[in-house]
Amino acid sequence: MEIFLVVAGIALIAFFLVSQYNKLIRLNVQVDEAFAQIEVQLQRRADLIPNLVETVKGYASHEREAFEKVTEARAKSQSANGIADIAAADNMLTQALRGLLAVAEAYPDLKASANFIQLQEELSTTENKVAFARQFYNDTVRTLNTAVKTVPTNFFAGFAKVGEREFYEVDDPIARSVPKVSF
Amino acid sequence: MASFRTLQDSNRRKTIGLLLGFGALLWVVSYSAMSYFGATGVGVIPIAVGISLISVWGSYYASDRLVLTMTGARVIQESDNPKLFDLVQEVSLASGLPMPKVAIVVDQAPNAFATGRDPEHALIAFTTGILDAMDRDELQGVVAHEMAHVANRDTLVSAVAATTAGAIALISDFLMRILWFGGRKNQNNSNPLALILSFVVILLAPLAATLLKSAISRKRESLADATAVQFTRNPTGLRKALEVLARDSTVVQQRSTAVAHIWIESPLDAKAVSKLFATHPPIEERIAALRKLESGGL
Repeated sequence: MEIFLVVAGIALIAFFLVSQYNKLIRLNVQVDEAFAQIEVQLQRRADLIPNLVETVKGYASHEREAFEKVTEARAKSQSANGIADIAAADNMLTQALRGLLAVAEAYPDLKASANFIQLQEELSTTENKVAFARQFYNDTVRTLNTAVKTVPTNFFAGFAKVGEREFYEVDDPIARSVPKVSF
Repeated sequence: MASFRTLQDSNRRKTIGLLLGFGALLWVVSYSAMSYFGATGVGVIPIAVGISLISVWGSYYASDRLVLTMTGARVIQESDNPKLFDLVQEVSLASGLPMPKVAIVVDQAPNAFATGRDPEHALIAFTTGILDAMDRDELQGVVAHEMAHVANRDTLVSAVAATTAGAIALISDFLMRILWFGGRKNQNNSNPLALILSFVVILLAPLAATLLKSAISRKRESLADATAVQFTRNPTGLRKALEVLARDSTVVQQRSTAVAHIWIESPLDAKAVSKLFATHPPIEERIAALRKLESGGL
C-alpha cells in the first residue's frame, strides 16, 4: 500500500513537471508560428506593390516622388531582419502606400479603373491581415512572457531554454483604421 | 471597467455553473427514479443516458455535414466569393484558428452560423441576404462572432447540454409510461411525502432541462460576442451588424427547428417564446453590451 502511494506520488510529480515544461515549449512554438504568419502576409503585400505601382503609373506617370517612396520602402522591407527592423520597415511601407493612394485620389479615371479597384481591395484585405497577424502574435507573446515570469512555469523557463520574446510594435496612430471597401 | 476579457470570464463562469446545475439535475432525477421505482428506475437510467449519448454524439461528430443538409447550405471555394474569403482569412489570422470551410445559404433573410466538432472541421455559413445587407466592417463582425463559436467549442458545449437534456427527458418519459401502465412502486420506500416529491421531480425535470439548455445557449451567444471583439478589437462593426439584424424582420426559411440555436440571430419568432426559453439573449441587450465596450475602451 505504501509503495503504491509513493509510486503514485512520484508519477503525479513527474506529470506536473512534464506538463509545465511542455506548456512553455508549446507557447514558444506558438510565438514562432504567429511570427511566420506576419511574414507571410508582409510578403503578400510586397508582391502586390509592383502591380499597383504599374497601374497608378499608367494614369499618373509624373507623380514620381510617391512611386520612389513606395519602391524604396518595399526594398527596405525585403531586406529587413529582426523583429524591430521588420516592424519599422513594415510601418514605413504602410505610410508610403497611404501616400500613393492619396495621390490616386486626384485621378478619377484611375479610381474608376477595374484593375485599380481590385488592387485596392486586395491591398486593404492584406493590410487587415498584417494587422490581425500582428495582434495575434502580440497576444501569444503576452501569454508566453507571463508564463516565463509567473509561478510555477518560471522555474522551468531556464531548463526549457525559453525566454521572454519581443513584441511587434508599430508606431502608428491610425494603424487600426483600414480603408473602407463596401461589399 | 467592463472589457471583453471580463465579459468572457463571467460568461465562462456562468456556463460552468449551468453545466454543474445540469449534472445536479440529472443526479436528482436519477435519485428520484430510484426511490420511486426501485429496480426499474435503476434499469432505466443507463438506457436513457445511452440512447441520448448515441443520438447526440453521432450528430455532434458529423455536425458539419449534417447541418449542411438541414439548412441547405452549399460549401463554396475561394473563387466563388474572394471578398468573403478575404474576410474569413482576416479573422482566422486574428484568432489563430485554421481556415474554416465557408458555405452559402440561398435565403433573403440576413443570418449566419458556425458548426463542426473542432476547429479543424469548422464550417461557417452565411445567407445571401446577409452578404447583400452588410458592409465590410459589419460582415467582419459577423465572421468574428461565428469564428468565436468555433474558438469557444460551442458545438461541443451544446452537445453536452443536449445529451444531458435528452437523457433527462427520456428517463422522465420512460417512467411516466411505466406509471401509466401500472408499474410497481418500490416496496421498501413507503414514505408518501418522498414518493410525491419524486413524482413531481420526474414530471418537471424535462422542463427544467429545457430551461437550462436555453440558458447555456444564451450565455454562449454573449460569450461569442465578447470573443468576436477580442478578435477584431472593433465592437462597432458587430454592433452595427446586430442593428441591421434587429431592423430586418425577414426570417430564415427553416427546414428544421432543430438547428434554430446555431444562427447568429434566432430564426424563431421572439414574441412567441418567453425569454426563459429563448436560445439567444434579446438583440437589444447584445447591442447594449457592445456599446459599453465601445465607450469604455477595450
